[in-house]
Amino acid sequence: MSKAMEAKNVEIRFGGQVVLQGFSLSLEPGEKALLTGPSGCGKSTVLRCFLGFVVPDAGSVSIEGAELTADTVWRLRQHVAYVGQEPDLGAGTAAQAVERPFHYRANAGLRRNLDRIPELFERFHLGQDLLHKDVGSLSGGEKQRIALVSAILLDRKIFLLDEVTSALDKVSKQAVADYFRERDDAAALIVAHDPEVFSFVRRVVELPCHTRTRDTA
Amino acid sequence: MNEIVDIGAWELAAAYLLLAFPFAIILWYRVPMLGETVTSLIRMTVQLLLVGLYLQVIFRLNILWLNAAWLVVMVVVADVSIVRSCGLRFRQIAWPVFLALTAGTAIPLTLFTGLILRRTNLLDAQYAIPIGGMILGNCLRADIVGIRTFYESIRPTEKAFLQSLAEGASLPEAIRPYVRKATQAALAPTVATMATIGLVSLPGMMTGVILGGASPATAIKYQIAIMISIFSGTAITVALGIRLTTRSSFTAYGTLDPTTFRDRPKK
Repeated sequence: MSKAMEAKNVEIRFGGQVVLQGFSLSLEPGEKALLTGPSGCGKSTVLRCFLGFVVPDAGSVSIEGAELTADTVWRLRQHVAYVGQEPDLGAGTAAQAVERPFHYRANAGLRRNLDRIPELFERFHLGQDLLHKDVGSLSGGEKQRIALVSAILLDRKIFLLDEVTSALDKVSKQAVADYFRERDDAAALIVAHDPEVFSFVRRVVELPCHTRTRDTA
Repeated sequence: MNEIVDIGAWELAAAYLLLAFPFAIILWYRVPMLGETVTSLIRMTVQLLLVGLYLQVIFRLNILWLNAAWLVVMVVVADVSIVRSCGLRFRQIAWPVFLALTAGTAIPLTLFTGLILRRTNLLDAQYAIPIGGMILGNCLRADIVGIRTFYESIRPTEKAFLQSLAEGASLPEAIRPYVRKATQAALAPTVATMATIGLVSLPGMMTGVILGGASPATAIKYQIAIMISIFSGTAITVALGIRLTTRSSFTAYGTLDPTTFRDRPKK
């Protein structure tokens, strides 16, 4: 069975400055890993790399055994769910924000998943009334959880989570952690400044700044 | 109707006497645009005299390829102006904008001269050059507004744009909200003009046709046809301009290429 995601000797430079060098990582299907390290050492860049938003200057990135290239990226993105730290939900109501991805042709067959919105809202302590609110009036924590619900509804088996609990209270953080602990079928690469929330994750990948790093787990 | 009265050299010089009013206002209030105004006036005079001389030749010869060449020159000048105004890199954007301008001008112009005016020579100088110029001028304005709005709205919300890609959107799907916004911004002035035309002021073409000796009834028909042509041309050029520029302004991975913008350093 192919790995859920894999980076091999990835090197990334921005404006001549090396952000990542010799970075390697692989996750089995269903496996979870925490990506930690000092601020600005490239944790978000690693996540963006797995989406093709940052293209490595050297090395390779693969999703479910297929190398991420300009030709494959459009198909492979459909295997990955990404939730950012400060999600931009666009304009309109929360319901429109959650439903937006289902207007894309790639997700047309998943519209039935929208029936799960009430269940997921309840699970992440979001009031159903929020669905009718304008996204501009939502708090940072509400936006994070709504973005998470939207990502979950896309039925993907790989999650890239970038500080998804940073604006949440203790109870909501626990709800998010519990959800991913129960998802044995989904791999997740998690960036978190409060790793104790995800205490069930056994694997920790430390990302030092501008040094040659290799994950040996 | 009477033939149009020509303006002699001395009479034209007299028109410059009207400049006494704006210059008096500029000097009295010390508006800091005296030099700029003088330069603009000189440029206008020289440019129009030269174009007038050139057009005299073109109209007298009325050769198909020369008329087409003149239109191409106008498209190239408009193209350069758009790319500069939008703050985008010439190398990446000039060719797609040229194609968009050509289509936005040529399609309505061809229909105007062929279908509406029933001219056998579609590039007859008397019709093709003034009508083409009017359509192109509006395409230029619409492209500047449309293309600039598109890129200026996508840059600050790049996070939302990338999120849509992450959610499985194709590039056309991900840029659709921005295309919608840019198209609305570009077409809004023409739509507003159509709603008030004739009430606020007499439009340029109608005035020209009346001065040329035609009846107001004929002038109105020309004006209606040109407004529809302009609206059609601006819609074509903006939609094409945005679509074609995205081929070179986005990477193969669907992300916005930072080198597209003149003010952003290359990676």
